[in-house]
Amino acid sequence: MKRISDLEYLKLPRYKRLAYKVASFFASIPGAVWGLIKKIGLAIAGLFAGIGREISDIVSTFVHGSAPTKISYVVMGYGNMARGQWLRGILFLLFEIVFIGYMILAGGHWLSMLPSLGKQGPTEVYDWVLDTYTYEYHDNSFKILLYGVLTIFFIVAFIYTWRVNIRQNKIAEQILASGKKLKSGKDDLHSLVDDSFHKTLLALPMTGIIVFTVLPIIFMVLVAFTNYDGTHNGYSNNLFHWVGLDNFNTMLSWTANTRGGTQSYAATFGEVLTWTLIWAFFATFTNYFLGMLVAMAINKKGIRLKKMWRTILVMTIAIPQFISLLYVSKMFAKNGIMNGFLMDLGLIDQAIDFFGDASKPWLARVTVIVINIWIGIPYLMLMATGILMNIPQDLYESARIDGASGWQQYSKITLPYMLFVTGPYLLTSFTGNMNNFNVIFLLTGGAPTNSAASSAAGNVGYTDLLITWLFKITTGPQSQYYLASVVGIMVFVVVALITLIVYSALPSIKNEEDFQ
Amino acid sequence: MNTAAPVKRHMGLRASRRAANTAIYVVLIAISVIWLIPFICILLQSFRVESTNEVGYVVPHVWGFDNYVNLAKTDFWRWYRNTFVIAICVAVFQTVIVLCMSYTLSRFRFKMRKPIMKLMLVLSLFPGMLTMIILYRVLADIGLTQANAVPGLILVYIASSGMGYYVSKGFFDTISKSLDEAARVDGATRLKVLVKIILPLSKPIVIYTILTAFMAPWGDFVFARYISMGTSKGMNVAVGMYNWLNKDQIGSRYTMFCAGGVLVALPVTILFLMLQRYYVEGVTGGAVKG
Amino acid sequence: MKKLLAILLSVVMLLGCANFASASQLAGTYDITVWVAEEIADLTRTQIDNFNAANEFGITFNATVEPVSEADAATNMITDVEAGGDLFCFAQDQFARLVQAGALAKLGQRAAEWVKANTSAGVVAAATSGEEIYAYPLTADNGYFMYYDKTYIPEEDVDSLEALIRDCEDAGKYFAFEMQSSAWYLASFFFATGCVSEWQTADNGEFESVYDTFNSPAGLIAVKGMKKLVDSPYHLSSSSGSEFSKNAAIVVTGTWDYVTVQNILGDNMGVADLPSFEVDGESYHLGSFNGCKLMGVRPQKDAVKAAALHQLAQYLTGEACQLERFDKRAWGPSNIAAQASEAVQANPGLAALLAQAPYSVPQGQIHGSWWDIAKVIGEDVKNAADEDGLQEALDNYYNKIASLFTLSDDVKYGWTVIGTCNLTDGFFYTDYTDGRSTWTDDIPMTKGDDGLWRSAAYEMEAGTEFKVRQGRSWDNNFPADNFKVAEAGKYVVVFDEATGEVALEAAE
Repeated sequence: MKRISDLEYLKLPRYKRLAYKVASFFASIPGAVWGLIKKIGLAIAGLFAGIGREISDIVSTFVHGSAPTKISYVVMGYGNMARGQWLRGILFLLFEIVFIGYMILAGGHWLSMLPSLGKQGPTEVYDWVLDTYTYEYHDNSFKILLYGVLTIFFIVAFIYTWRVNIRQNKIAEQILASGKKLKSGKDDLHSLVDDSFHKTLLALPMTGIIVFTVLPIIFMVLVAFTNYDGTHNGYSNNLFHWVGLDNFNTMLSWTANTRGGTQSYAATFGEVLTWTLIWAFFATFTNYFLGMLVAMAINKKGIRLKKMWRTILVMTIAIPQFISLLYVSKMFAKNGIMNGFLMDLGLIDQAIDFFGDASKPWLARVTVIVINIWIGIPYLMLMATGILMNIPQDLYESARIDGASGWQQYSKITLPYMLFVTGPYLLTSFTGNMNNFNVIFLLTGGAPTNSAASSAAGNVGYTDLLITWLFKITTGPQSQYYLASVVGIMVFVVVALITLIVYSALPSIKNEEDFQ
Repeated sequence: MNTAAPVKRHMGLRASRRAANTAIYVVLIAISVIWLIPFICILLQSFRVESTNEVGYVVPHVWGFDNYVNLAKTDFWRWYRNTFVIAICVAVFQTVIVLCMSYTLSRFRFKMRKPIMKLMLVLSLFPGMLTMIILYRVLADIGLTQANAVPGLILVYIASSGMGYYVSKGFFDTISKSLDEAARVDGATRLKVLVKIILPLSKPIVIYTILTAFMAPWGDFVFARYISMGTSKGMNVAVGMYNWLNKDQIGSRYTMFCAGGVLVALPVTILFLMLQRYYVEGVTGGAVKG
Repeated sequence: MKKLLAILLSVVMLLGCANFASASQLAGTYDITVWVAEEIADLTRTQIDNFNAANEFGITFNATVEPVSEADAATNMITDVEAGGDLFCFAQDQFARLVQAGALAKLGQRAAEWVKANTSAGVVAAATSGEEIYAYPLTADNGYFMYYDKTYIPEEDVDSLEALIRDCEDAGKYFAFEMQSSAWYLASFFFATGCVSEWQTADNGEFESVYDTFNSPAGLIAVKGMKKLVDSPYHLSSSSGSEFSKNAAIVVTGTWDYVTVQNILGDNMGVADLPSFEVDGESYHLGSFNGCKLMGVRPQKDAVKAAALHQLAQYLTGEACQLERFDKRAWGPSNIAAQASEAVQANPGLAALLAQAPYSVPQGQIHGSWWDIAKVIGEDVKNAADEDGLQEALDNYYNKIASLFTLSDDVKYGWTVIGTCNLTDGFFYTDYTDGRSTWTDDIPMTKGDDGLWRSAAYEMEAGTEFKVRQGRSWDNNFPADNFKVAEAGKYVVVFDEATGEVALEAAE
């Protein structure tokens, strides 16, 4: 695509400018993708180079180091202690002892089981005196996988700490050689509320995130490479095992006649993904514009009771969705209040089956989008209220003096300002809507059902998003955790792609410092 | 005073403005009705005495507080207390964690800063639903499921709360850095800067964080249900009440569901309406500025 | 080894030492968790207290009774067996899943005998996988019948589906019969025309094979009947008794809604067995599933505790407790002695079930996916424009059932003959109104050296129709229109894979 200069751009009529912007956005996508690939390549190359540097540094530190430094290679923290940094030294040593103890007592066992995920399933024993069956459980694939991963985490942490320990020795030697004093334990503690305050602040949140978010995600990604499901639960019936890429092949194959369905998984996935994207688009933008309109209406000069209008709308945020949405879904049932009302008004003479009619999937879909407006407008209304108040009033004043109409003021001042400051919000809201479990689950449960899709994967429906489909697979008749895991990974890939593309095409997000 | 002429000149404008305002009022009234109908229905149904199942009409024939009284015969108040405890704990700890995280990422420049922010972004792209099973297992292993689900839930909610740093980081970014620097020059530690200078300026975002943290546990039923695993002692209101809509219970529990719904909505709504102003400031100050 | 033990056991029994579990062995206090439906939670607490007071073994249970719905109980057990209730109740459709998940303890010899002796055969089958019994029957009333509002439905119409639909449309009231979201209810129409779906399980709960005739001329009649109902604007896909307070005149549901419906309708409540529908002049009485609820014992590590739990389970599912549950909650007993009691016989809801009984089918073991596969028939039928559409719904169903079992390559790529013919008789005939099943069995063909597929030789009547299809599904089939036999005789069906040509070869 031909680039044009700013001047040329300004000469273009407005519709052409828009067309140019859209076109340049899409034209930038291949470049962004290519840039991404290059970046990943460079990162990998950098990683190897970095490892090489680290190793050579470790070796040279050992060769040139003093005795305490050399001993520190085996007894962590020895160097620190020998140089009077007792606090650091003891912490290093303690960590090493805990690590070695753990590896001997438990870690080694889990690690050795990891390749097989267990050998001995449960056994049944008959007690003929009591005439009862009892059960003995042996290996537990789930625990092996979990603790195996944990152990690997621990090993990585240990290697990192060991490396830090060595680097500290090197730095300490350099400092001593230059004739300066080393930091004492007291200095270390003080720096935790000052220079290294960020470490103190981040310690707790990051630990939580690593244990309760990173670890589970890694675990679930690994599950995608096993046959973990209801009939292989790894403990009380059959153990589960590694199956390589089988599950991805299943998910991505176009062969019809999947277990309990006539549509291939790939086709089902494509359908659900398409609807998820359409849903996310409309759910985001209908709320965005309508919410803005409502906010402008309430904020308009001369409108009274502003607070009351806002309060009424805000009720939907305050009341838990499992109450309000469940109630609304009952209102839209075939014999619900909604149909009764429409029939009383004489608008329809037959009840509309909003969520049950598989021949009209779009009826259910549009209804869901409309009801979502009910939920989403208040958030946007609140946010827009705040932003609208921040727009400098003199902009409007001067526009009015120039004789700009209301629409011109909106399209020239309000909208661009809103779009500019809410760009990042729109992106997170889009991805948030892709994963909007509650609205779909509580309103329709995915209905109407797609009769061709596989029932083994939990009877996906026409309003199911990827996230609710994933839930259905997990809780479906065969509890196919491995398939849920594959879907989860694909959701990640899709969302990540969208985010990357938008990020690279939206300059305002990148320069966070600009706002400060 | 020149009264006559300007009035005359603005008559047309004022009339059109009045027409526009009338139209807006009509729209706003219509919207308000649509927005309030479900809540009014729930409220009315909760006072229905003559029957306990779903019915086709809205206004009760016989009014009374029976449904509210009957809640005491179930585990409702236990679930309520559970949820309240969870909400309070989460509100406190989550706020502390989110503030730590966002303040650090907004104010400090250190080597791991960008990688951490990128990691958070990547993690947030994974659907959280996926990790439910594994979190259940981890909690089951340390004995924090079923009857002990309350501390278990608190732990999980808090542990992952650092991910929600984005909005408050945006807010901190808007507070001028020169304030910190001036204080640092005067010899204040980083801790002191945070406590003495930044926090007093951050009332809206602190309240916003507390408010959102407090509200979330009231509505969680998917994960909470998993963790409580059928043990009434460890359920929150959402899980407990969700069961009332099961096929075998809806006939006798529907109006109680509505009554319970009103009681759940009450504290959250009151709190929200009281602190609405801060919510708006927090969300506009934080969410929209990257 | 197991067999040896069984022999040993019977020998010991013969010696007259039937009471193995002597009081001293089981005596003790046990902490247990019991999961039952909310409705009977209080009652169960009392019953366990009674057991503690009365049992001869010196067992004391310190029981925590948790109200857990039947559906949740099964899901929870499967998610984490160790966290489950020591005793738990579930509906029988979850049985196979639970056995597969290793969430049910197998019953010992005597417990199994006790179940067989005290329960009707259809219900025993519900608790059986392979040869083994895994659970104690708790109720046998999990079937459905019709409730109606006498204000709108005249007594004389209750036997005819068509009349009922007309009454509802005239009154502007709904006919609630859960056709679009539940295979359990929808199967009613198929059972009416004699279709079956029978599943075989192995000892470990896994499904081995299925005999299913929903996709047949009889099935087509069934969906034609169903079409009449679902096409009515006043059909409502629901099975909730409270629909009566929201504009319904008829609801098909079970005994559990009896109290609800009675509260709403009072004297206007009518109860009846399901009606008949008419297709092509023939009348078919709607069938139903007849299922039960079961109580299971969670697999235990400690044999003594396990034995004590089995004693409690027997007590709770015994005659006395079942009658108590009937008194308090109108749960229909599965225990033969309890079923015979006068009070049970006089209950109108159970009476309607009894009237429906001749048309009902014991639920047996059904593949978990079947419920999801079959339930979409309702929607497909509603969307079908014509008879072809109806047939398509059945084909869709059949293909999914077939795909549940991994087909061997022989089956997947092999060609078969299917038509107005029957594999067991090896007989091709045109007149299939006598109820013999046709278009259901695939007659195998083998590939010869010349590359042509041939069937065995069969006597064929003139007018016999058939097709040749691949992989027992309709994805690939020839010829486009049914092949018709012109002249009676003994023939071999010959099929050319390359050209798709079907021909007959006279056989001597």
